[in-house]
Amino acid sequence: MRIGIVCPYSLDVPGGVQLHVRDLAETLIAMGHRVSVLAPADEDQVLPSYVVAAGRAVAVPYNGSVARLNFGPISAARVRRWLKEGDFDVLHVHEPMAPSLSLLAVMACDGPIVATFHTAMTRSRAMSAGRRVAQLVLERITARIAVSALARRVQVEHLDGGAVEIPNGVAMAKFAGAQPLPGYPRSGGTIGFLGRFTESRKGFSVLVDALAELMPSRPGLRLLLAGPGGLADVDLPPLVAKRTDFLGKVSEVDKARMLRSVDIYVAPNTGGESFGMILTEAMAAGSAVVASDLDAFRRVLDSGRAGALFPTGDSAALARVLAELLDDDARRHELGQRASKAAAQFDWPVVAEQVLEVYATAIDAYADDPKVREEL
Amino acid sequence: MGWLVGVVAVVALLGFYLTFTAKRVDRLHARAASAGRALDAQLVRRAATSAVLAEEHGEPDLYAAARGALDARVEDREAAENDLTRLLRKQELDSSEASDVAVIAASRRVALARQVHTDFVRDALAVRSRPLVRALRMTRRHGAPAYFDIDDPTLPSVTQVTSRATRD
Repeated sequence: MRIGIVCPYSLDVPGGVQLHVRDLAETLIAMGHRVSVLAPADEDQVLPSYVVAAGRAVAVPYNGSVARLNFGPISAARVRRWLKEGDFDVLHVHEPMAPSLSLLAVMACDGPIVATFHTAMTRSRAMSAGRRVAQLVLERITARIAVSALARRVQVEHLDGGAVEIPNGVAMAKFAGAQPLPGYPRSGGTIGFLGRFTESRKGFSVLVDALAELMPSRPGLRLLLAGPGGLADVDLPPLVAKRTDFLGKVSEVDKARMLRSVDIYVAPNTGGESFGMILTEAMAAGSAVVASDLDAFRRVLDSGRAGALFPTGDSAALARVLAELLDDDARRHELGQRASKAAAQFDWPVVAEQVLEVYATAIDAYADDPKVREEL
Repeated sequence: MGWLVGVVAVVALLGFYLTFTAKRVDRLHARAASAGRALDAQLVRRAATSAVLAEEHGEPDLYAAARGALDARVEDREAAENDLTRLLRKQELDSSEASDVAVIAASRRVALARQVHTDFVRDALAVRSRPLVRALRMTRRHGAPAYFDIDDPTLPSVTQVTSRATRD
């Protein structure tokens, strides 16, 4: 199958959508499909062979963060040329509602279009710009994919259309096969946390409170922490600070190694998490997972069968769950094994099969189009 | 002179908008019709795989429902497909059996095809209801597309079936 994928954000900037596009493209190529990815990039940037550069991206504030986007007549011409040269069976765009390459591609393409919605935003400029404008874009899309139940609900409620829920993939082998960091696994218990610990919705303070309760009676217990930001920005009790090993911001490789090093990974988020990618990654690494009882987490953890849940924001409950797991090696290992088994359903080749079914459905819905038939 | 330029500009813009809208009406109706035919093909495929399954499992009721879905007249088709879905849900499906997997996969494709069809029908009906489209009778060459209203045909997926099997 000839597949054209459009990524609206620069591939050299780390981000969930970019990683998703890269992993999906590489998985589809490994399955024998012809894939071309169009993404914002400078001409002189070193890119994987399957990526076509669409020119320099411009930084635009969007939806509370800075997005690097391509938009305008020059980008539109490049998109049209790429579509013509690629002669794709199906076009797959990501986040098409933002003014970006994805939106340009949707407007320029006459064939089957599949769109993936990543964010669970309840409001965005595109949506507030008016339903009628949004409708012109949406009605050109043949099939929609949402990566989480929350993203799907936004589709149904705000954009008036259905979407198939296909979870984010995880590169299982990369996490399951990673070497633990030097000195790990260690005895005494290692708790892991990865992410923007300075953001309150990540719930880091819930974990800190739980650790402050547990650490005095457990001399070996340590926290392995990674994420952008400085320790000075968070308020740590002296004992917790003393027993924290801080890695700073980690690469994809070190992330996998870190997740393989911890005994228990904790996701204490208090809300706003649309899918919980980090959970599937920790599960793929085979670590026992303890997560707050959010809808998205509950689904990924198979209602608590593939990881322990605690009431969101309740640090005392978290401390209890952690203590139980730290004291019961057999139960912790069993949980880790069930986690990696459950993560297998998010492995990229499995997820890519589901995406291919959507491609096939989109193509079928066009195959009978008289206009297409004339061309054949 | 000025007013003439203005009138020409307004007429040109109006013409552009009307052509654009007429094309949009045609496109959405063509898409809805085409998606409907794709849905029909997937329903036939599901009924065929169900018939094979019924013969292998020795289930005369399922076989009758599969035949019923294939033979149903247009106005009875939704009910016939729902009957088939109901009987398929009663089956114990095994992810290691080829004919079981075929039914699960075909059911998933029906769900996808119906989703696409529903979206295009909604878009086509929305554009039909626009006052301009109605006033200029832009839809005179197209009948109103209809939703295909059936219960969600998705059966427990193969992975879920496997995980349940390992849990027990």
